[in-house]
Amino acid sequence: MVLEATMICIDNSEWMRNGDYAPSRFQAQADAVNLICGAKTQSNPENTVGILTMAGKGVRVLVTPTSDLGKILACMHGLEIGGEMNLASGIQVAQLALKHRQNKKQQQRIIVFCGSPIKHEKKLIEMIGRKLKKNSVALDIINFGEQDDGKIEKLEALLAAVNNNDTSHIVHVPTGSSALSDVLINTPIFTGDGEGGSGFAAAAAAAAAGGLSGFDFGVDPNLDPELALALRVSMEEERARQEAAAKKATEEAAKQEKGEGQPSGTQDAMMTERANVATSEVDNKANDLMDDENALLQQALAMSMDDPDSGHETRDTDMSDAAADDPELALALQLSVQDGTKDSSSQSDLSKLLADQSFVSSILASLPGVDPNDPSVKNLLDSIQSQTEVRASNLSSQQKNEEKEPKEDEK
Amino acid sequence: MACLHDHSCEDHDCSADWSLYKHIDISKVTALNEAVPGSVKSVFKAWEQRLSSSEEHLESNEGDPELLVFIPFTSDVKIKSISIVGGAGGTSPSKMRAFINRDGIDFSDAQSMQAIQEWDLAENLQGVLEYQTRYSKFQSVASITLHFPENFGGDTTQIQYIGLKGEATQLRRDVVATIVYELMPNPSDHKAQAEGGGGLSHVE
Repeated sequence: MVLEATMICIDNSEWMRNGDYAPSRFQAQADAVNLICGAKTQSNPENTVGILTMAGKGVRVLVTPTSDLGKILACMHGLEIGGEMNLASGIQVAQLALKHRQNKKQQQRIIVFCGSPIKHEKKLIEMIGRKLKKNSVALDIINFGEQDDGKIEKLEALLAAVNNNDTSHIVHVPTGSSALSDVLINTPIFTGDGEGGSGFAAAAAAAAAGGLSGFDFGVDPNLDPELALALRVSMEEERARQEAAAKKATEEAAKQEKGEGQPSGTQDAMMTERANVATSEVDNKANDLMDDENALLQQALAMSMDDPDSGHETRDTDMSDAAADDPELALALQLSVQDGTKDSSSQSDLSKLLADQSFVSSILASLPGVDPNDPSVKNLLDSIQSQTEVRASNLSSQQKNEEKEPKEDEK
Repeated sequence: MACLHDHSCEDHDCSADWSLYKHIDISKVTALNEAVPGSVKSVFKAWEQRLSSSEEHLESNEGDPELLVFIPFTSDVKIKSISIVGGAGGTSPSKMRAFINRDGIDFSDAQSMQAIQEWDLAENLQGVLEYQTRYSKFQSVASITLHFPENFGGDTTQIQYIGLKGEATQLRRDVVATIVYELMPNPSDHKAQAEGGGGLSHVE
């Protein structure tokens, strides 16, 4: 609950058009600014926040330190991107704006978003930092966007010059899937120097962490233990059901003399289990939608594998995910799709492939969650081998019979 | 301990003169460019302890001898003279400039503004020197800011003791500043009352 006046320095240079932070660097910055303003004004109602832009035609103060959140948010609209960032002038103007704050009892703080290369010399930057420290102004640096050689070094030097008793911080935000604001929420910039933070910061952190690996199922066990427990129990039940279904599929497949059905069955179990972790039902619906894509994909795969019997119709199976991922897997699935066709030539192809023990074990090894040394898998392989031999002998006896019959007919 | 005025200290108690430190609002004393935040509060003590170097003293940052000390009082005072005990080895301040009844002064203000009075200091390691003020200008002082721009050549500036001699009036210059108000109730602000225990209130 520190009484603070903050000036936020925004980088609106040309480098902010880049889209490596969704939706664009500038938008990510604007979201972060909104969050910071909210957090500051909530932690202490007498806190004031001001905004200035560092690029464009020159350093321009958009709003002087005020506690009116509406004014701050309004000035974020209609900001234009252009020009080059001038870090030194930006910080100096921010310091001047803070000096003329209305309530002299407030601590002074500057937050700088640094997304483009710094063209100043390191000495100048350090001098500015020392001047800030002398006038007891704290500085938070958010390093994102362009990383050129020397930028990190300059910013670290600036932090070292300014830092007085750990009141100043630097945050490096790498490009990635998480938004700029989410990364910032967990930093001392939001939580306020380890005082325990404001309610706003804590709530926002909990909400963001739900999306990350912080909490399972997106629910904070502290906030809602019953819901978290219910979700966990349902997840375990689903997993148990999946395993039971997989076991059943195993037994049936072993009876059906179709070895590939097994790996794909277990594969389905794994896949759907994985899918459950994210969104279970949505995934199955998506499979229905992806049937057309599936057909095209399988045709393409078949052509690439030069299989003459690939007259595939679309099969409504949960194989869309698998087909996209792994060509070996695709082959296995493709072979399993040929269940219906009792073509003898394809049978022989099948049996040849099956007979190739090493090929099968390599497929199984590439399947996630299948351990080739697992005894059950080994049993399966043995059964496949025996089935192959049985089938081969059946086939050969069939062929012999067929040969015999025409001969008999000829007779 | 020799005093500036030529009599021995057994006759009267010098410390009674230098008692303005009791009227300083210690919690609101601040300094700019101090190496250890909050160390400025240790330089305001009784006359007898002015040379005790075992406690902390006020030191400026490395390589920067400037210091700015802001001293608010709990009531308006009249300041007759000021005594400064510095550090050894060239770390004593050599100049002092005073500003009255202005808060929020920083270094750029201090360098550009006209001080109400300036002194050239000598090294005063024994604490026997005092610097008189133009008394007419120091009649109702609610806060005083002391700016020490230079020292005697040391890397940093050290100050062990700041003594103020004068009178305290019971008046307060700016009554509004003493009101405590809340925009939002904050339990941590009310700890003192809560520590009294949850006593029952009597209604008789």
